[in-house]
Amino acid sequence: MKSSRLALSAVLAASSVYGQLTFERLLKADSEPQNWLTYSGSYRGWRYSKLDQINRQNVKNLKVAWVYQMPTTHRIEATPLVVDGVMYVSEPPSNVVALDPATGRQFWRYKRSLPSKVNVCCDQVNRGVAVLGDRVFVGTVDAHLVALNARTGAVLWDAEVADYRSGYSITVAPLVVKDMVITGIAGGEFGIRGFLDAYDARTGQRRWRFWTIPGPGEKGNETWSGDDWKHGGGPTWVTGAYDPAQNLIIWGTGNPSPDWNGDVRRGDNLFTDCAIAVDADTGVLKWYHQFVPHDVHDWDAVQVPVLVDSEWRGRQRKLVYWAHRSGLYEVLDRETGEFLFGKPFAKVTWMSGLDEKGRPIRNPGVDPSEEGVYVWPGVQGATNWYSPSYSPQTGLFYLTVWENKGFYQKGEADYKPGNLFIGSVPKIDVEEDPGYGAIRALNPKTGDKVWEYKVHTKPWSGVLSTAGKLVFGASGGWINRDEREESESSFYALDAESGKELWRINLGGNMSANPITYSVNGKQMVTMAAGSGIFTFALP
Amino acid sequence: MRPALLLLIAAVAWGQEAEIRNPHTTPADVAAGAKIFRSHCAECHGAKGEGGRGPNLTTGVFFHGSSDADLFNNISNGIAGTAMPSLFFPPDGVWQVVAYVRSLAQGGGEQRPSGDAARGAALFREKGCLGCHLVRGEGGIKGPDLSVIGSQRNLEHLRRAIVDPNAEVPRQYWVAKITLESGSSYTGFVMNEDTHTVQILDFTQGLKSLSKQSFRKFDIDKSSLMPSYEEQLSDREINDLVAYLWSLKRESHAHEGRSE
Repeated sequence: MKSSRLALSAVLAASSVYGQLTFERLLKADSEPQNWLTYSGSYRGWRYSKLDQINRQNVKNLKVAWVYQMPTTHRIEATPLVVDGVMYVSEPPSNVVALDPATGRQFWRYKRSLPSKVNVCCDQVNRGVAVLGDRVFVGTVDAHLVALNARTGAVLWDAEVADYRSGYSITVAPLVVKDMVITGIAGGEFGIRGFLDAYDARTGQRRWRFWTIPGPGEKGNETWSGDDWKHGGGPTWVTGAYDPAQNLIIWGTGNPSPDWNGDVRRGDNLFTDCAIAVDADTGVLKWYHQFVPHDVHDWDAVQVPVLVDSEWRGRQRKLVYWAHRSGLYEVLDRETGEFLFGKPFAKVTWMSGLDEKGRPIRNPGVDPSEEGVYVWPGVQGATNWYSPSYSPQTGLFYLTVWENKGFYQKGEADYKPGNLFIGSVPKIDVEEDPGYGAIRALNPKTGDKVWEYKVHTKPWSGVLSTAGKLVFGASGGWINRDEREESESSFYALDAESGKELWRINLGGNMSANPITYSVNGKQMVTMAAGSGIFTFALP
Repeated sequence: MRPALLLLIAAVAWGQEAEIRNPHTTPADVAAGAKIFRSHCAECHGAKGEGGRGPNLTTGVFFHGSSDADLFNNISNGIAGTAMPSLFFPPDGVWQVVAYVRSLAQGGGEQRPSGDAARGAALFREKGCLGCHLVRGEGGIKGPDLSVIGSQRNLEHLRRAIVDPNAEVPRQYWVAKITLESGSSYTGFVMNEDTHTVQILDFTQGLKSLSKQSFRKFDIDKSSLMPSYEEQLSDREINDLVAYLWSLKRESHAHEGRSE
């Protein structure tokens, strides 16, 4: 019985490959919850699903349905997409596989041939693909954007986005908007000049580029000193959101370069650590908000923007919720970029408040020094690139939090193209006080903590919320303590209203990815990467 | 790519016996290498190569090969399957980094111990050190493995460990004392821990995995299990013991770690 059902589902999956994913369908992605069509599940960045077959009552019965093992030693940070019976997931460094989402059986693999030397700061990873029509798009660690045939994995075009030899790489999942593929870039530890790009999905020709570090004569260039802007960083390494009503792409930018030595880049260093909103057709900046002016702690603001239309202090407004690495949760008006509200969601010692424009009031003595200084949060922030989630059902904002301090030392920063340009020796774990992690639910209107699920290690994974009143999260973290590693590898489902743990499994291996859910043959599935495997769960 | 570099890489790749020597070893090269190291390597290996996210480079032994050619290759091309990236530097700069890394292991001319290693070895047995410490396959589990401690620690450090063991107690030697609701109790090292469980090496019962739900008490004693020998041994005996420990060196292999 079971095997014949699996065989049937494979046939169904294979026959539905020919479906066409249009932009119109992407606009209404949340109305087809059987699929997972974009990095965050929809343009709004919610990572929320209307599926409720798996819910608070039955989640305790969740079992492994299949595992797909990737022949890789790199970390899997990918969010899979599920489109009409096919799962597309990137395999690090820059490969793509197409799988049957019912069984995990492989249809095809695209294997990217890479140069022997590729410099990425933090492992050769990839966070996922984008799909439009019958094409799959993937960025590569040698900074190309590649279009593949969704049925065969054959290369349709291959565009060089930037020169990898000067420190550029792509780890971000692209985002399809209209007939364009939007991609960010990585290299904030290599002194790149960051940008956000749009490519014609049909031809691979570039439509526009928005430089996150403005050149001479451009607005914001005055926030740099001398030629520092040329190597100013401002990478765009996590997929942003799209607001169709305003035709705005809203994206986060990363740290200025060099990370921990600000002496060589006096000024606010626009548009690093910013929310930016650019016109989708032209790439022209409509508004920005800088979360951390003149960052000297590597506190990227690349997190997924969460777009919500809601009443705000008596008036209906278009909002963005943003919890960023420096430990602050902020609310912006997404028509104007106006700062509305901000508050720490974890312990911070670097600032003592925000002025009315949302500029943080910095405390003295928190900049990296030669002797070093302890500051909360640590180098990896109070949250990081892994996704938050917003549930319209509970009205809560969910995120992974680190309560931790870091030891920040200022070092030499010597720009040599293609090499690290960081200016420090940061310490990620303070051995005597490594801190802890948590999944938290915030009231997005007040920033107040509603509940917390505390974990021993500091997780590197994002969260997913579902209409089954569940939040899925993972603790795939580790703590380096002397020569011993303390590891954790739990994937779990929490009650979205109370944070109570309802189900848990130990998957083994590192987890640094985001969960998704979809449905195949009427059965809801939940997928999460762990170690070198893609694990998918379903009710028996 | 310059022909000279091509030849070099070819030689490294095929592991030819002709030894490749660093052509850049002057004090100026070491200084230049140090500068590159501080801005490109120190993030992981520490400001002075003492280690951090990446391995300690001051021991003179490298997991992925200790020859000049190995070091050049690994710095230049990175190490597959590890977090070690490649350095985008011309060969001269890479050789300067090799020169600097080599200088770390020499520690400015290592001191030699004044004691007698043979007497120290006898004392080590006599005083029951093997009850806790492992030396080349023989000994206990409660203390650090001392099989190659002479390659890992300097004389001052060895002496301090004998007279003042509490000066530095690595976390893996902190002693956990766990009492369960059922009344049973465990004493030993925490091998691993997550949100819900603790894996312990109990000193009498061996490896146990325990659920935190069943805990009544979970205490950690951060002091050393080892007593101070400052009063128990004479100065001469301490010197002999230090000499013995210092003599426990790692054997060097020409192509250590190049297992293919």
